[in-house]
Amino acid sequence: MDLGEKIKKYFKEAELYRSHGLLVDALEKYKSVEGLVKSTRTIRNQQGILKQIALKIELTSKKIQKSDGPKTTPEVAEDAQSLMKEMFSFDDPEAKGSSALGGAIALAKFGQYDKAIEELNRLLEYDSLRLDAAKNILWCWIQQNYTDYAVSLYQKWRKTKLFPPEEADSIQSYFNELMDKAGVDHEIDELESQRTVEPDSEIDDDEILDISSVRFVLPRGPKEGEKIELEISFQSGKYIRMIISRREKDLIDSINPGDLLKEIMFYSPVAIFSGEGYVSSKNEIDAGPKKGDYSLEIKIIKIVS
Amino acid sequence: MAVINLRNRQIECKLVFYGPGRSGKTTNLEYIHRAFKKQVTGKMISIDTEGDRTLFFDFLPLGLGKIKGCDVKVQLYTVPGQVKYKATRQLVLKGVDGIIFVADSLAVRREKNMHSLKDLHENLLKMGLSIRKIPLVLQYNKRDLEKKGLPTMSIQKMEHELNRQLKVPAFSACALSGDGVANTLTQALKLTLQSLQNEFKWAQ
Ligand SMILES: Nc1nc2c(ncn2[C@@H]2O[C@H](COP(=O)(O)OP(=O)(O)O)[C@@H](O)[C@H]2O)c(=O)[nH]1
Ligand SMILES: [Mg+2]
Repeated sequence: MDLGEKIKKYFKEAELYRSHGLLVDALEKYKSVEGLVKSTRTIRNQQGILKQIALKIELTSKKIQKSDGPKTTPEVAEDAQSLMKEMFSFDDPEAKGSSALGGAIALAKFGQYDKAIEELNRLLEYDSLRLDAAKNILWCWIQQNYTDYAVSLYQKWRKTKLFPPEEADSIQSYFNELMDKAGVDHEIDELESQRTVEPDSEIDDDEILDISSVRFVLPRGPKEGEKIELEISFQSGKYIRMIISRREKDLIDSINPGDLLKEIMFYSPVAIFSGEGYVSSKNEIDAGPKKGDYSLEIKIIKIVS
Repeated sequence: MAVINLRNRQIECKLVFYGPGRSGKTTNLEYIHRAFKKQVTGKMISIDTEGDRTLFFDFLPLGLGKIKGCDVKVQLYTVPGQVKYKATRQLVLKGVDGIIFVADSLAVRREKNMHSLKDLHENLLKMGLSIRKIPLVLQYNKRDLEKKGLPTMSIQKMEHELNRQLKVPAFSACALSGDGVANTLTQALKLTLQSLQNEFKWAQ
């Protein structure tokens, strides 16, 4: 085959592989083309062609990098989530009436953690499903690497005695196993000390700008799903505090210590950024002009952008 | 696992399109969706949130009407082919009744075909199923590229490498134009219904 023809043939192959999404094969072929073009002097406009091929190589490499990069499982549309729930329900045929649980587990297995946790949280209300729901909630958080949050959640359940003694043992050994597998060393046996472990923050105090207000979606309660904006009354590094008026009863009931806020917008005089926070405390103010209002504290654990 | 209701004479079974990434599984389903409008009983759901790669699965429900006195419904699924989605493939395979393995005829995909077949074998084993017993057909896809002068493998070579031991029905296809797609599907359905008949004696 004459060199010109060979170059054309290889180029056509590379283009087809790229169009089929076979990026690694395409890249290899573009490189062969580049080699062939470089090896000859007789080709017209050699520099121009080499430039074009270099561009193809660059774009294809970038695409490969992008698809190889570490990625969290994306959330899918609602109809797809219902399909996952219905078609892949992890139901034990023996257990009657548990399809809600089976469906939620299916969602979790497909990495639809937020939706799964939302449904599992509802199932905590039912005596017969509580234990399995709780185990799966912990599993979901650990899968997402929110180990600290899983620990604090587990501690909260223990403190509030959500489970009767037999179940408490079962969930404890399950949780220990999960933590072992995740390779985390946590003193969850020392729970009786009553100290709640807060999730670690990824950030240094001096990295954080002065924040004037925050916006986030309420995670639960009467105003669940509603977006609110609160002014910051006090800030100490990654801890921010705001006041909620005693008149906002619904709002007060919609947020509680231990809640994880996965998407908070932070407004500072110079920039807007988003991140995650953990509700570290909520207390009624018992003296002074704001007596009866509530003070809410959030620990910023992650800045996303 | 097929749902068989002998009293109401209804069967619902599950076929999965398996194969390496980019071999044409989604394209098969898209063609079936277009060409078998009458049999399509619900919408095709493609869960591909990132451009055109299948991340979870595609789903298409079909109703075949009465076969031997039974109302037959089929759910078609595809799996994501990329190696890293092994866990999702195992999930989608759950309860499978029959499999269509879509192999890529492009020569550069030779090893990927073989790896994917091995992966299928392993995933079935984990579920207590055997690749030699489950209803299975092969499809050699993208045959059109041979005529366009692109490096493809011959049918003989693909038979030798993928089907020498399995000896299951195999079909040439061009999923893009639909050539061979119906044949593949029909044969897979036949084998699946036959195997369910052996197990459950549903036919009249
Ligand atoms: N020429 C040709 N291209 C095909 C054929 N089948 C699929 N393709 C192309 O191959 C690429 C991958 O197909 P897709 O169905 O997404 O593969 P999947 O990953 O197995 O679902 C797409 O660009 C399709 O258009 C075929 O029979 N002939
Ligand atoms: Mg696909």
